Amino acid sequence: MNAHIRQIEYALPARVLGNEEIAAQFPDWSVGKISAKTGISERHIAAKDEYSSDLAFSACRKLFDTGTCAPADFDFLILCTQSPDYFLPSTACLLQSRLNLPQSCGAFDFNLGCSGYVYGLGVAKGLIETGQARNVLLVTAETYSKFLREDDKTVRTIFGDAATATWVAGREAPAGAPADLGPFVYGTDGSGADNLIVKRGGLRSGAFNAGPDAQAAAAPLLHMNGPEIFNFTLRVVPGCVKQLLERSGLSLEAVDFFVMHQANRYMLEHLRDKMGIPPSKFMVFMENTGNTVSSTIPIALHEALKSGLLKQGQVLLLVGFGVGCSWGGAVVRWQGL
Amino acid sequence: MDQNAFLRNLETICELKTGTLKGYERLSNIETWDSLAILGFIAMADKIYSATVKGEDVAGCKTVEDLAALLPNAP
Repeated sequence: MNAHIRQIEYALPARVLGNEEIAAQFPDWSVGKISAKTGISERHIAAKDEYSSDLAFSACRKLFDTGTCAPADFDFLILCTQSPDYFLPSTACLLQSRLNLPQSCGAFDFNLGCSGYVYGLGVAKGLIETGQARNVLLVTAETYSKFLREDDKTVRTIFGDAATATWVAGREAPAGAPADLGPFVYGTDGSGADNLIVKRGGLRSGAFNAGPDAQAAAAPLLHMNGPEIFNFTLRVVPGCVKQLLERSGLSLEAVDFFVMHQANRYMLEHLRDKMGIPPSKFMVFMENTGNTVSSTIPIALHEALKSGLLKQGQVLLLVGFGVGCSWGGAVVRWQGL
Repeated sequence: MDQNAFLRNLETICELKTGTLKGYERLSNIETWDSLAILGFIAMADKIYSATVKGEDVAGCKTVEDLAALLPNAP
């Protein structure tokens, strides 16, 4: 049994934050400069009363509305979020009910950021290929905008809210056929945890009692040490790509498309150049969505499929990296519907 | 390190005309030295000098000379 991606849909909030609005708030940054450096023209921001489960619901409904699958088909729901509606219960449980997925459906959240999609694919593959599930609904959903300070231009220019829904299913494959998902490479360096962190609201912040870290209660919302995240990326991503190529026995030329987490254009271009990947094989899609954390890779895949770039049998190399610090990469043979 | 090449690269990062920088300028006087330029400097260190420079060390620099001193074989 080969687990494979059949279909991907995504949903964005209606409210658009354009570069003009940001440039008006921060006059030392021009519209052109933001666009040129980040590769982002606009991001979508969740409404005050719109949360991760709402975006996740919209993405899943879009998937069902294509008519290729229905809620009753799914026996597992995995949801990646770091901005859940509640501490508990899991957002996946809320979504199971709202989508009318069967009660025989397993459902859980996992807390990862930009590496989350690759980890989700790895778990989905494990569930399917060990016979624990037949059809997995892998959802990514974030409303990072709720973590951002209004006056923090470095993060407000980059992050956008979104959710994606991926249908992962099994298919009979001829003996000896290569995996449709994998090999996978995972990695973690928790010593970089402080470089991208939200302390406020967590138990250690003392929000619920006089916690040990009183200072954190007054800590800013999302804190990002951009330069150190950039250094982390330069350190781990080329090695991750190299490991994936070695484990899969593929050459760089044999990969049809490289799909990295869409952090910002500047970082991606530098990585592409460093790894010697031709621009034609390097997917970039963030201009109208921004950095949507765990949703950037599935959004890029959906758009590549929609534009006719992605075709059955093509070999993709995905790498997600960021908050944690955490990274994960996978080789994907695109099957589709 | 080729001081001239370093200054020309830094001018590109800061979007300055070629020949603008002499090497002793205060970074606070360079309007385009901002958070994006810091990323640009880290990228330059990685690509041209195969060096990893810490973000906090770059942010702590006061002059162009201080930046040069972060790179290997600094003059």
